[in-house]
Amino acid sequence: MIQHAFLLILLAVFLVGANGCTTSGKNVGAQVMQEGSETRVYEVFGMNCPGCHGGLEKLIRKIPAVQHVEANWKEKQVAVTVKPGDELNDEEIYDAIRRANFTVGKRIK
Amino acid sequence: MVAVVMISSNTSAAGISIDAGLTPPEDRWILRTQLRYLQRDDDPTSMDRKMDRYIFMTVLAYGLRRNLTVMLKQAAVHQEMSMAGSTGKDTGIADLSLLTKYRIYRRNTPEYTFGVATVLGLELPTGGDTFTSETWDVKPGLYLSGRRGPWASDFNTTYAWNGFADESSRGINPGDELSLDWALAHQFSIGGKADISLTPVFELSYKNISPDRLEDHNVSDTGESVLYLSPGIKFTRSSFILEALAQFPVWQEREGSQLKRDTGVLFGTRFMF
Repeated sequence: MIQHAFLLILLAVFLVGANGCTTSGKNVGAQVMQEGSETRVYEVFGMNCPGCHGGLEKLIRKIPAVQHVEANWKEKQVAVTVKPGDELNDEEIYDAIRRANFTVGKRIK
Repeated sequence: MVAVVMISSNTSAAGISIDAGLTPPEDRWILRTQLRYLQRDDDPTSMDRKMDRYIFMTVLAYGLRRNLTVMLKQAAVHQEMSMAGSTGKDTGIADLSLLTKYRIYRRNTPEYTFGVATVLGLELPTGGDTFTSETWDVKPGLYLSGRRGPWASDFNTTYAWNGFADESSRGINPGDELSLDWALAHQFSIGGKADISLTPVFELSYKNISPDRLEDHNVSDTGESVLYLSPGIKFTRSSFILEALAQFPVWQEREGSQLKRDTGVLFGTRFMF
């Protein structure tokens, strides 16, 4: 009986997780742009798996001037869209990349 | 004494240890659950003993700083023990563990990633009567993780200094435990999408448990060594991971009349948010 309860709990966790994580495949910089917004693309080293980029996106999303962020571990890039009219210093992005335990490459765009 | 011998196997969360040396990002939460099934049988005595154990493990980790992760680990256990035709069942909570993981070194390049982290755990005697060691246990460890292209490898070692400052109510000082784990994995992306991958994992794990001590003497029927070969699989979708592993004990030595470890399995999930 108890082991059945364990299995049911685990199954429920699986199902919730599978349905709750339905992000699609991503293309860096492919999001819809607002007029006047600027998208920058940075090279990032250390993202090696599909679960790796979420933490970086979370940190960059907290920067007030950021409108949108998408990281792609395969391309080793992160695309950051700046809110129209706002100023974004590259150093804020570099700091977020470092706090995610990754290494900054070059700014591509 | 039979009961003591049969419940001596711990509730370790070993298995699928890839990336243990790579600390998570700052402000990242990770909720890990694991259901393990362990069995012991092949009784060397005439009592025909057998044990089945189910462990539901929950680990909550948080990236406090980019180089410091704090964790809480709690297990619930159900076990069934049979002996000479009769069966006893027990369910309860195991001891709570508090852990910190500190990043010693990390290097990220376009070709590879390499990380070294140290872990320090403290297990508190908070578990139920059957599932507590009744002692404060300290668990230091060292994790090395490397990734190159689709390949990943880990080497992890932990030492459990059980009863480092006290002993159980029966005056027993539980034996220390040494674990050495090596893992190799290869990641396959699925369907061309960047956020889904399937990763076969192969692990080799050695564990040595020293005999329990009572008044400067070894307690009989305690102390053992085991080597596991463990194939497994990990499915990753964005911030969610499913994992499964089978553990085959390919070599083992046991003191006295302890039951033999048999094949174990584990299923796990990880949510990152």
